[in-house]
Amino acid sequence: MTIMNTNYTRLMLVPVALAALASCASAPPPCASPETRNLDAAVGQVKTSLSAGCAAHFDRFYDDLLGIAEGDPKPENKRLFSEFLVWSADEGLLSQRQARDYYNRYFNVKFMSLAGDYNNCSHTCPRRDRVMRDMERELGDKERGLVRISLDNDGYYRADRLYQEMELVLEATCTACEAAR
Amino acid sequence: MHPYRARPSARLAAGPRLALEILPWFGLSLLLALLAGRQAEANTPTIRLFPTTVVEDLRQTSNVAREMESGLQEVIGRLDQQQQLYLESKCEGAENDPGCQRLSRQLGATYLEMLGIMEERLPDMEHTVNNTRLSLEKRLRGELGNKMTSWTLQETLLGGEKQEASPAGPSLRGRSGMRLSERFRQYYQLVASSSSRSDQSLAVLASDIYLDMEETSELIARTREEIARATLIEQLNQSFGTITPEMMEVVGGVKSILFGDEAGQMQIAGPPPGTFEEEYRSPLEQ
Repeated sequence: MTIMNTNYTRLMLVPVALAALASCASAPPPCASPETRNLDAAVGQVKTSLSAGCAAHFDRFYDDLLGIAEGDPKPENKRLFSEFLVWSADEGLLSQRQARDYYNRYFNVKFMSLAGDYNNCSHTCPRRDRVMRDMERELGDKERGLVRISLDNDGYYRADRLYQEMELVLEATCTACEAAR
Repeated sequence: MHPYRARPSARLAAGPRLALEILPWFGLSLLLALLAGRQAEANTPTIRLFPTTVVEDLRQTSNVAREMESGLQEVIGRLDQQQQLYLESKCEGAENDPGCQRLSRQLGATYLEMLGIMEERLPDMEHTVNNTRLSLEKRLRGELGNKMTSWTLQETLLGGEKQEASPAGPSLRGRSGMRLSERFRQYYQLVASSSSRSDQSLAVLASDIYLDMEETSELIARTREEIARATLIEQLNQSFGTITPEMMEVVGGVKSILFGDEAGQMQIAGPPPGTFEEEYRSPLEQ
């Protein structure tokens, strides 16, 4: 009798487990990365996720979109990213400053790592090595955004030249600042 | 040291090598003339890196350098001829031959003459180089160090240029190991193009010259220390009639600097050829 009851219980559990598995397969996990390789569609999916409470995953989504855009590089991609970031700021997911940082770090010649309100002798020179390291990292992001996503080689070369000129000018300026101490 | 500023002359002997490294300043007159003209025609620059005092200091340095250059060129010419004669006479390996010993001593005497010219002219050179360095130092500190933030400096370097394509060609000028004519051709390009693009190239040029002056200043000081030692060694060599590998290298180094060394030329990557269409400008762009 006991054995029969046990078998019966097991038989009843199988459909329940199958139903549970099926429901897992049909509902995507929350805040999932976009599945499409089409940037337009991916931006739509990300917007939906962000609106549905996944704002904390913004960095990951942005990186996902960059990766998708690398698969189909073209100059118009810049506009898609700009519009996505403007939307994010309008929705209150990002501040205006964050939106500018996200955009310019990847798609503009200017280096966001050079933002600062104090003069070079007092502020930049004492941390010149760190500034140059940050610029180097940002140059890598610009290569991704300008060359591999937007096909803007010219923009990337300008950024690269700016990096080198900045290195030279900062070396001279900081030597001159240091000589006064 | 900046990557574009590496000097390939490590093969030269220490003392004389240092002296040779200051030779690239000998052609500064061309740059000065261009700068002077450039200053005169410029539209009220927002940063003043080359006021007349700095230009005057540069001119003075150039004059002293030119005097040294002209003195050395004649000696170098003679060294070249003597070395050629030594080689053609197959004196290598025949050092005990009386004729070869005579040639070797003549070569050594000319080498000593070169060191003597350097010894005589270097104090003046040191003085004028230091004046120029200090003038530029003050300007860089004031205009770029104290008046600017890293952001405004970046904007100055970009020169307000928006998205127009920059002309093909070098923007950073390597100085070292480059033949003089090429080096000043590149300086010329920078100065000439900066007349239409205002401050950004001048900031780079001022930095470039200042760092060169800084190095030159150190090299002159070290050279002055070393020259007495080099002279003594050569005087000893004269007694034995030996041509040292150091001497040969020095002569080769002098020739490569004054008359050109193609291998030392720096190539700067330019933008790839292509069309420059109206680019997208994001409202987020800074």
